[in-house]
Amino acid sequence: MKGFTPLILGICATLAFSWMGLAFIPNLQIGHLDPQTDEEGKDAYPVPKSGMAERGRRIYAANGCFYCHSQQVRADYAGSDIERKWGERRSAPRDYIFERPVELGKMRMGPDLANIGHRAPAEDQNAPAQGSPAPAVAPSAANASPTPGGSAAPGAVTANQAPKPQGTPTAVPSTATASLAAAASPPASPSGKTQVAASPSPAIAAGSPANANVANAAPAGPSPPAPATPDAGTTLASLPTDSPQAYSAAWHHQHLYSPRSINVDSNMPAYKFLYVKRPVSGQVSARALKLRGEEAPREGWEIVPSYDAECLVAYLMSLDQSHPLKEVKSAAPAPTSPSPGKSAK
Amino acid sequence: MNSAASATDPTEIPLKAPSSVTDLTAGDVSQVERALIDASTRVPVLMFYTSALAWLLLGTILAGFTSFKLHSPDLFSNVAFLTWGRIRPAHVNVMLYGWASMVGIGTAIWLMARLCRTTLRHPLLLVAGGVFWNLGVLLGVGGILAGDSTGYNWLEFPLYAAITLFVAYSLIVSWAVLMFRFRRGGPIYITQWYLLAAFLWFPWIYLAAQTMLFVVPVQGVLQAAVDWWYANNLLFLWFGSLGLGTAYYMIPKVIGRPVYSYHLAAIGFWSYALFASWTGMQRLIDGPFPAWMVTASIAAMILALIPVATVGLNHHMTMRDYFPLMRYSPTLRFTVFGAMSYTVFSVLGVMISLRSFARFLQFSEVSIAYSHLGLYAFFTMIMFGAMYYIVPRLVGREWRYSSLIKLHFWSSVYGIALMTLMLLAGGLVQGLNMDNPTLAFTESTQSVLPYLRGRSLAGVLMTVAHFTFAYHFGLMLFGLGRTASVPTFLNPVNPDPEEMVAH
Repeated sequence: MKGFTPLILGICATLAFSWMGLAFIPNLQIGHLDPQTDEEGKDAYPVPKSGMAERGRRIYAANGCFYCHSQQVRADYAGSDIERKWGERRSAPRDYIFERPVELGKMRMGPDLANIGHRAPAEDQNAPAQGSPAPAVAPSAANASPTPGGSAAPGAVTANQAPKPQGTPTAVPSTATASLAAAASPPASPSGKTQVAASPSPAIAAGSPANANVANAAPAGPSPPAPATPDAGTTLASLPTDSPQAYSAAWHHQHLYSPRSINVDSNMPAYKFLYVKRPVSGQVSARALKLRGEEAPREGWEIVPSYDAECLVAYLMSLDQSHPLKEVKSAAPAPTSPSPGKSAK
Repeated sequence: MNSAASATDPTEIPLKAPSSVTDLTAGDVSQVERALIDASTRVPVLMFYTSALAWLLLGTILAGFTSFKLHSPDLFSNVAFLTWGRIRPAHVNVMLYGWASMVGIGTAIWLMARLCRTTLRHPLLLVAGGVFWNLGVLLGVGGILAGDSTGYNWLEFPLYAAITLFVAYSLIVSWAVLMFRFRRGGPIYITQWYLLAAFLWFPWIYLAAQTMLFVVPVQGVLQAAVDWWYANNLLFLWFGSLGLGTAYYMIPKVIGRPVYSYHLAAIGFWSYALFASWTGMQRLIDGPFPAWMVTASIAAMILALIPVATVGLNHHMTMRDYFPLMRYSPTLRFTVFGAMSYTVFSVLGVMISLRSFARFLQFSEVSIAYSHLGLYAFFTMIMFGAMYYIVPRLVGREWRYSSLIKLHFWSSVYGIALMTLMLLAGGLVQGLNMDNPTLAFTESTQSVLPYLRGRSLAGVLMTVAHFTFAYHFGLMLFGLGRTASVPTFLNPVNPDPEEMVAH
């Protein structure tokens, strides 16, 4: 090397070149995207998340969820993400314009979460599921248990699309978030109140160290007590048969608290520190987790989500890239005939 | 922290001094000069080394938690700061900023002083830098464990820790500039290119990433692009440069033979600077990005085989006929192992960057194998080698037990080899199962668990290696090394040791 100056200049120039190419120019290209709207300027997508979901994103980042869960759906030619029902189309830069920090992820020790909120039961089905141990809409096709053997997963996708009022022009927080927030803070909205009013008796029954028949012993619920779930025979027999409807808020809470009570094969750590165990004062809280077996608290105690846990679940419920984007070719709609043995988890 | 190194007059240190200072030959003069230079670097370098080793041990313990909890998820899962998602970034960041950066800076200080042929001026500046750096890592790791992680890969340190690190770094780099100002004569040696480049590149990528993520954050997916740009450049331009620069010094030095080709080295250096810096986006294959970004990085990964080939060829030709020396010299053994791992690491990097492979491997444990090949099999092993060379020159003692060096070497080598194999095989199985939509997703995670248990076993081996080395280093630090005129060889040398190892 001849001189000092050319060395320094070369060192700086090479990195400047790289920074220009991989940071600066992409920023010109995709760094200033706007939400997409229809012709009348309505139906904006994406929209910023609610406050709770934003706080939940912090929880998600702080506890390193993104080391095991990605949030990106690859195109059908680049992987089996779409076949696994992780999304109906590939993810695009526009899906993430309000995300900070963006949690694309790098590893899949757990399934992709880009559309986990979309895979939740629709709002009207979701709310009762919070209150009663047995899903109120049990016979519907949307009853996707964690390890569905057969028709549950594709059914859930199609069933969810119809009732979901995602397109409401003024909807700033996504509907899933709104319903969850309401459920989390009972006095906040009328729907929350009705739900609380409807729920006490099954909740109390579930709070006791119950056996699997407890659902039948609580006939006062808002809906006929579906005898466990209809797919009880097809799920793992040793598991509680009345775990909440898949990907509902209640499901997430139970899954976070005790992953293997929902799926014995799960490799996820439990996040018990996000939950509070406390003595029951008066009635069992509507938010209390409905746990079975050895995870269940002693009589007179209940396990409720902390505010952080509520926010984390609000965030998960807000993850939804199902809205079509003009720049992305959507894959064919979910097939009506399921392929056997497929897991949507 | 550096009690043994507390300020004595550097010139009084009993180094491998010439027999008589009054009777000077030319060789003796240069030996005295080297001894003075070594003595002047003693306090800061030992301080960086001691801190680095402390972080290495902490990082190893955290790694154990990370590894075991992955196949035994209920272990300590009730404690917030021990949850897997916090332990993992704590481990990674301790290793990156605590161990690897500090040992790299320590080695670079010593190499720079030697190669600039000037005594270290203002060592207190460096010591202050080291204190701040330790503080930054401590704050950062504490922040991560307390739930303050930023959520960006390899940049999890919260902003207060990042700022502390940057202050520390400014102190260190200002010293490097000073050093170059007092440099004496001669062309700039290859090692100095790499070290100088590393010292200039690191603050740039760190500042650029921090700015684009936290100060004026870029939109959406570009954060991930900036993050991967940073992570890959940290790996290549910071650790890679420090590692390669060190290897370019140690190999010729130990065998006492000049580098095979200067021109080859120049080609290797500039192609490295040009191509390695363009990588990063290959970790986002088929993600939500313009395809050209990913393609550019894949192309850069492939082109980065040019520097790999030239550097590898250069080292190989330098070493030719001298490979048997690896039987004796610990430094050479570690360094050559590291230099060879660099080739393996780069070839694996190209393979997992190709779209056809990435389809299966991108979200699997293979990427962990890749990171460990780069940071451990390549970088860390070279740094171990450098420490085996440098520390005796700083404390004036030789390594006490050749058996401990051997134990360190073999448990490291078997550990990293087993770990790489387990993660590669496990990642492949995991990726193939994941890509097969007729299998439940949990099949893919279940199928990798046996390999993860094997990886934990590898981790135990590496833990043995690290604690052995730390113990041996501690003996040196407290003056319990051997007093001898010849270095500690791994195996007895019959004919003439002086010929084997040049000083």
